[in-house]
Amino acid sequence: MTANNIIELKNIDVTFHNGDQTVKAVQAVDLTIEKGDIYGIIGYSGAGKSTLVRVINLLQTPTNGTVTVNGQQLQQLAPAALRQARQKISMIFQHFNLMKSRTVLGNVEYPLLSQKISQAARQQKALQLLKLVGLADYAQTYPARLSGGQKQRVAIARALASDPEVLISDEATSALDPKTTKSILALLKKLNQDLGLTIVLITHEMQVIKSICHNVAVMDAGQIVERGRVAQVFTAPQAPLTVDFVETSTNVKAAIERITNTIDLAGLAANQELMYFNFIGNATKEGIISQYSQQYQLDVNILFANIDQIDGENVGYMIAIITGDLAAFNPAIAKRVADGVKTKIITTENGLEGLA
Amino acid sequence: MAALIPNVISMKSEFIQATLETLYMTFGSAIIAAVLGLALGVWLVVTQPGGILADRVTYSILDKLTNLLRSVPFIILLAVISPLTNFLVGTTVGTTASLVPLIFGIFPFYARQVQNALLDVDHGVVEAAESMGSSPSEIIFRVYLKEGLPDIIRVSIVTVISLIGLTTMAGAIGSGGLGDIAISIGYARFENDITLVATLIILILVFAVQIIGDWLAKKVEHN
Repeated sequence: MTANNIIELKNIDVTFHNGDQTVKAVQAVDLTIEKGDIYGIIGYSGAGKSTLVRVINLLQTPTNGTVTVNGQQLQQLAPAALRQARQKISMIFQHFNLMKSRTVLGNVEYPLLSQKISQAARQQKALQLLKLVGLADYAQTYPARLSGGQKQRVAIARALASDPEVLISDEATSALDPKTTKSILALLKKLNQDLGLTIVLITHEMQVIKSICHNVAVMDAGQIVERGRVAQVFTAPQAPLTVDFVETSTNVKAAIERITNTIDLAGLAANQELMYFNFIGNATKEGIISQYSQQYQLDVNILFANIDQIDGENVGYMIAIITGDLAAFNPAIAKRVADGVKTKIITTENGLEGLA
Repeated sequence: MAALIPNVISMKSEFIQATLETLYMTFGSAIIAAVLGLALGVWLVVTQPGGILADRVTYSILDKLTNLLRSVPFIILLAVISPLTNFLVGTTVGTTASLVPLIFGIFPFYARQVQNALLDVDHGVVEAAESMGSSPSEIIFRVYLKEGLPDIIRVSIVTVISLIGLTTMAGAIGSGGLGDIAISIGYARFENDITLVATLIILILVFAVQIIGDWLAKKVEHN
């Protein structure tokens, strides 16, 4: 383990037995997360993300594999030492999980109750954390009176009370509206920058990954199917699931469905084709379509276009009906793959599967 | 007044005595049954599958034991338990002797009620406490019993009211109390006003417990 890796999961399996049924929730997952990273794990529900992150603090004991956090192999720790280690691995949840019998201040004080500090010092620390999340005025309020976003802020303050090294976010923004989600993500980003907090977050929304994560792992059926830098994974997705996430988040998927439903593909003329274009990086700045349309005398009827920024990189998507000398145009534009241009002819059978 | 309830007027001191006996039996057994019932209820919740100290064997034993104790009809329990009563109290008759069967009659019922109340505590909150490094005893006292308090108060009201009901049967082993007056004097001597007034006092006790309990539950609840 290198000094920089704060979390190392090796060969993790989690298998549940439910009567005769065996569910392999997590299978042979290796995961290494560097200190100070914001690492996203994305997948649809049932992919095993929640189970996997619960392995990090051993709320879920893996059937196989080793869990090393902060240089400690957690499975070798005695119960008391494990509880000590857990205080450095905080967690926030989709449904906040605040205690409704305690005030906002009382909730933030909770992790400090087992530490040997005076009540005054405890309250002062909790109050400071409430200031940090912008809720100092609500110290004496009970959680039932707060909005979802406020509750999650209290949960974040509580998670910070034990001075954690790692913060695990289990779908923390999934129950919030888009505006609140944005502000919570901004807060997490700030904590990452100011406190050097390592954040592991799981989500089913690509927007969340795109806005704050540096690295991402895509999970499907208990396995990580793709991982890497966010820009790399989402600009050049390899696994079908990753492609699906990208197309859903950029509205390409919906656009294709709409277009293929309204346009009779079989009715296109011989010199017409419905094409999907994907431009990455510098390709988004060039007038590729206008160059080619002049060169090959093409008519381009744009039906959908979108440009997105992923980790600072521009990615463009376009769907258009091309009319003209396709026999010359298609091979010519296909040669531009190295420059970040990808194309695909859409037919009724293929939809968007297997974009070249 | 004397015309309406002639027998009661002449037995005023017996009524006061009987009311005190009922209160003594109810709250004397309630205190001990509360401790036993809370302990058993918590034990059931933490050992049940998925609990913080899940233990299939322990849970199954406790679960069956609770059911077994609850299945004995109280009027029979009064007799069946007499050797234990004799061992603990030194006698099998009288008000204090009745505490033993009352405790055993009510605490398994209370334990079940407590178990159900604690099961309503959000599992996510328990998980959050675990993730913050809380020990099982911290989770029991700082999460389960604190978060579950309003419901625990509510089930305690139900239990105390049932217990008042049980004390009236304890007259069968010479416990005295309002039930005893109603049956062995009011019913046996056809002095209906005695039965009626004994019933009224019991109703007043029940309402008082209900009102105080509701007020307390509301006070500790922050929904």
